Amino acid sequence: MKVVTGVVGNDIHVVANRLIDISLQARGFEVFNLGVNTYLEEFMDAVIETNADVLLISSLNGEAEGWCRELNILKSKYKNLDGVVFMLGGNLSVGEAKEEEIVPKFKNYGFDLVFHQVDLNTGLDALEKYLEDRK
Amino acid sequence: MSLLQEERDIIVQNEFADNFDFAEIEEFVKNASKDLFISHNFKTKNKMLVQPRGGFPTYQKQYDLYEFFVNADVDVLPLTIDSNTRLNDYATSAKMLKLSEENEVDMLNGYPLVNHGYKTTRKMITHFNKPVSLRHGTPDARLLIENAIASGIFEIEGGPITYLLPYSKNFPLDKAFLYWKYVERVCANYSKLNEPINRESFGPLTATLVPPCVTIVIQLLEMLLSLEEGVKSFSVSFSQTGSMNQDIVTSAVIKKMAKYYAEKIGCGDADVHLVYHQWMGAFPTNKDFSEQLINTATIIAAMVGADKIITKTRDEASGIPTKESNAKTVANTQYTLRMLQGLPNIVDEEEEEILTEEVMSIMEAVFNDPADTLWRKVFNSIKNGTIDVPFSPHIINHNEVVTVRDKNKNIRIIKRGNLPISDRCFEYEKSQCDLNKDASSIVNDIIHDIGIMQW
Repeated sequence: MKVVTGVVGNDIHVVANRLIDISLQARGFEVFNLGVNTYLEEFMDAVIETNADVLLISSLNGEAEGWCRELNILKSKYKNLDGVVFMLGGNLSVGEAKEEEIVPKFKNYGFDLVFHQVDLNTGLDALEKYLEDRK
Repeated sequence: MSLLQEERDIIVQNEFADNFDFAEIEEFVKNASKDLFISHNFKTKNKMLVQPRGGFPTYQKQYDLYEFFVNADVDVLPLTIDSNTRLNDYATSAKMLKLSEENEVDMLNGYPLVNHGYKTTRKMITHFNKPVSLRHGTPDARLLIENAIASGIFEIEGGPITYLLPYSKNFPLDKAFLYWKYVERVCANYSKLNEPINRESFGPLTATLVPPCVTIVIQLLEMLLSLEEGVKSFSVSFSQTGSMNQDIVTSAVIKKMAKYYAEKIGCGDADVHLVYHQWMGAFPTNKDFSEQLINTATIIAAMVGADKIITKTRDEASGIPTKESNAKTVANTQYTLRMLQGLPNIVDEEEEEILTEEVMSIMEAVFNDPADTLWRKVFNSIKNGTIDVPFSPHIINHNEVVTVRDKNKNIRIIKRGNLPISDRCFEYEKSQCDLNKDASSIVNDIIHDIGIMQW
């Protein structure tokens, strides 16, 4: 399985990004890590270029919504995205926010899996289960 | 006119900068009080120098902070520069400075030196008559350091590697080398007029599980790049690793190697100093625990024989510290240091031997790169992973090296990537750790090891 990952927007928080990279590899994924400070268009190009199965976007500085709300519009401009799993995780809002409000909001923007302030391994377990169930 | 002087004349023609009068500045440096030079303080003050961190947007707030520091018996004053100036965006820092002055709210996380200008800033520096250290994080610091030296700031922190790999995703590394070459040359030229200007490298790097051999190699290379341009006073530095023994071993090796390599390039006449940073990783939210951590760091600094210590505050986990808590650490650190005279010399020969071999193998690989100048050799070595800094956000960095802590909290390399360390050293590093776990448990260990001081 191929995964494209990175931190969206003007966000330079790199530590979690490295841990995601290492964890995904430990779980047997082939990882294409675009690193910090990456824009949505760059993620989409990388998914097409690598023929990835999963796009895992992370965000820590709370600005995810501004950078991700146009995902559905962008998806419609690309071909061959059927079957790609869109996943988002991290700290998804500035200040406090409820999970039951955040998750549906981002699912509406076009994500299949959304994790707000969830432990990394819990999130990756959920990804693996999602991929398993889909078979 | 020399090429360097032509470049300087162009650099200072910036709409946000003062009108530079180089002849007047030379006169000022020539006649400046020796107390302003940290290089002179290192020679004459027979103690570890204590330096806090700190920078506020307005002249008045910076002045007030300095008064607090001086009352707390500070040895070296800091001047921390705001993030916009670090990115050469002087228009934004000018606007934010105006807003800070009008509304008494701090809109910048440091002092915008270029906007204030050297003529104004010099008044503050000469008034306090203490050495000042410039703290920034700027890949292109040419205009900034012209302003700093003209203001009476005679210590410049940073370097092309240590101010780039931890702070930037894609600023071109080759350009950073050339911009810093300018800094070294200007510092070297001013050093001929009075006491030397001191250059200091930033050893903490990403402050996230960086193995000591990588820290030391980068310190040595920035030192050599500086000395080869004529700088006569240089500080190598590193931050508390989380293991007292590893700190002691690191300092022993860095001191020995700095002398060895300075002599190797014919610059053995330069003074080299050691700077120790109190813990640079994530702090506990409990402020009393923070004070314990800071105090322990001071003891370790005394154990390793640092020439200068750079302090943190009890507010570290919550944001930019108040001048009160900042000054409090200075006073507390001075108090602790007065207790710590004549400490025993602890030596761990086995660890020192391994670390020395690792450092020398990497240095040898850098020198063996076929490029014609040192900076190009270093550039190629970073590009091909001979030098690899864990958790750097920069695209040129390899990110193949993986480290964890052993049971005594020493940082160990468990995946060496392209680091050219011998099989013997690598086997030794791995033998200290429990690697018979599944990969996810090791990832959990890494997460734990990064936040080691929060528990």
